[in-house]
Amino acid sequence: MAAPEPGADPGAGAVTPAPLRPATAGRFLNWATWGIIAALFVVSVQQTGFNLELVFSGTADFFRFFRRLAPDWTALPQIWAPLIETLQIAYLATFFGTLLGLPLIFLASFNTTTNRPTMVVTRAILTVLRSIPDLLYAAILAPILTLGPLPGVVALTIFTMAVLAKLTSETVESVDPGPLEALKAVGAGRNRMIAYGVLPQISATLTSYVLYIFEINVRASVVIGLVGAGGIGNLLNRYLSFFDYGGLGALIIVVFFVVLAIDQLSVWARTRLI
Amino acid sequence: MTRAPDAGPIPPMPRAMRRNRMLMGAAVALILGLVVLAIVTMNLPTWTRVMGGLERNAMPLLRGFINPNWGVFELASRAMLETVFMAVIGTAVGAILAFPMAFLAANNLLGSRLLAFPGKTVLVAIRTFPEILFAIIFVAAMGPGPVAGILAMGINSIGFLGKIFSDVVEGIDAGPSEAIRAAGGNDLHVFFYSVVPQVLPEFASYVLYRFEINLRAASILGLVGAGGIGAPLIQRLQFRRWDEISMIMIVIVVVIIVVDTLSSSVRRRLV
Repeated sequence: MAAPEPGADPGAGAVTPAPLRPATAGRFLNWATWGIIAALFVVSVQQTGFNLELVFSGTADFFRFFRRLAPDWTALPQIWAPLIETLQIAYLATFFGTLLGLPLIFLASFNTTTNRPTMVVTRAILTVLRSIPDLLYAAILAPILTLGPLPGVVALTIFTMAVLAKLTSETVESVDPGPLEALKAVGAGRNRMIAYGVLPQISATLTSYVLYIFEINVRASVVIGLVGAGGIGNLLNRYLSFFDYGGLGALIIVVFFVVLAIDQLSVWARTRLI
Repeated sequence: MTRAPDAGPIPPMPRAMRRNRMLMGAAVALILGLVVLAIVTMNLPTWTRVMGGLERNAMPLLRGFINPNWGVFELASRAMLETVFMAVIGTAVGAILAFPMAFLAANNLLGSRLLAFPGKTVLVAIRTFPEILFAIIFVAAMGPGPVAGILAMGINSIGFLGKIFSDVVEGIDAGPSEAIRAAGGNDLHVFFYSVVPQVLPEFASYVLYRFEINLRAASILGLVGAGGIGAPLIQRLQFRRWDEISMIMIVIVVVIIVVDTLSSSVRRRLV
């Protein structure tokens, strides 16, 4: 190391700058992965017959069509009842999904389950349940559970349960083990450890996840009516099949503002929680 | 042995704690009250109707799901491949368009919150719409087919990716930018040599994450005529051909799980 120049700050020479990280190269993917992604893109473009022109003509079509959606506000009285049903579906599904998901959270976390096979099986089931889109549950359940809100509630309940258990079990696995060990040392069983050691640590995050899933469920419950599972999607389907674009426009605007309001409220609550 | 001095009766609970408990109680009561209200006012079918429906459909459904029909395997695989292609292009379109949007919605790059406000508003508006509504409009406007689905996914992805990208841009380290400026670099230099290298790995990771979401979306867009595996699925749902539905669902689930696993392992290496 070079000696500090006379007159310079005496401490300055002692500080060696931390070595720079090798730009982004080290953090970045290797070229092979990029090659695969690029190839996948090229093949996709070829196979679907997609081109840039379609983006522009499609967008133009979209906006031209948008003009025909000029809202017909006389449809408003028809909209309220199914809209409320939509929100009820989302609410009930979030409630029951949370109830059913709670025990699964702890079965799927390594630090709260003692039995490894139970954990592996729970996780596998959750993975499969989560990989099925919510609208698909609704489409399968609608013909079985009679058309209406019931299949919608059941479909979104399954979805809520699976997503909540997966998200929260990651939180459970990262809790501070101190309180758990303390509880174990004084002879607490697994349930007491969860109730007094884990729950207080995760309750804020858990509540925020529940609110987040409620937001997702509101969006989903808007559209599950398309497959006969109740809510405002039924009305949407009817407007579409009768080409009642004025009613459709009014419906879309109402849905937009309701979903926006719920989102903002929920986001506000979530930022206060954490 | 001396006894510990008598501590007296247990002191009452502190005021704040009592208030918290009361608030909790009120919240629980409100939540349960709304549940009861929703169940009472909802147009639920009678128990006998539900049981009747179950009796008629549960057995055929179970039998079908236990014996998936391999006859539709080829068709399902081809449709699922198309679904994957749709998701790839939809994500790419969304990512490319979200890139400029992100910088138009980032407070720190534009220098003021006011300038970023329009960009942020557009992103919120896009995110509010469920994907399938976009798909419905595109199908109505340009006819059914995978392109309608791709565009619906692309637009919806802009809302999500634009928001996340702008959050990433707002969170970058100001050091490198200042260093470039100190060495005489202009705004363009700062952008290309400080901002872009800092945000790219995170951008890439979120694009992959969005791809996972889009693949799920793409597999149901066919329900409204926007291409992909949803189209053959909805036909079979109408005729309740459970053995074929079962095969199609197995293909969907397997592909989604495989893609999720691959994508999350790449994401872990990225960030």
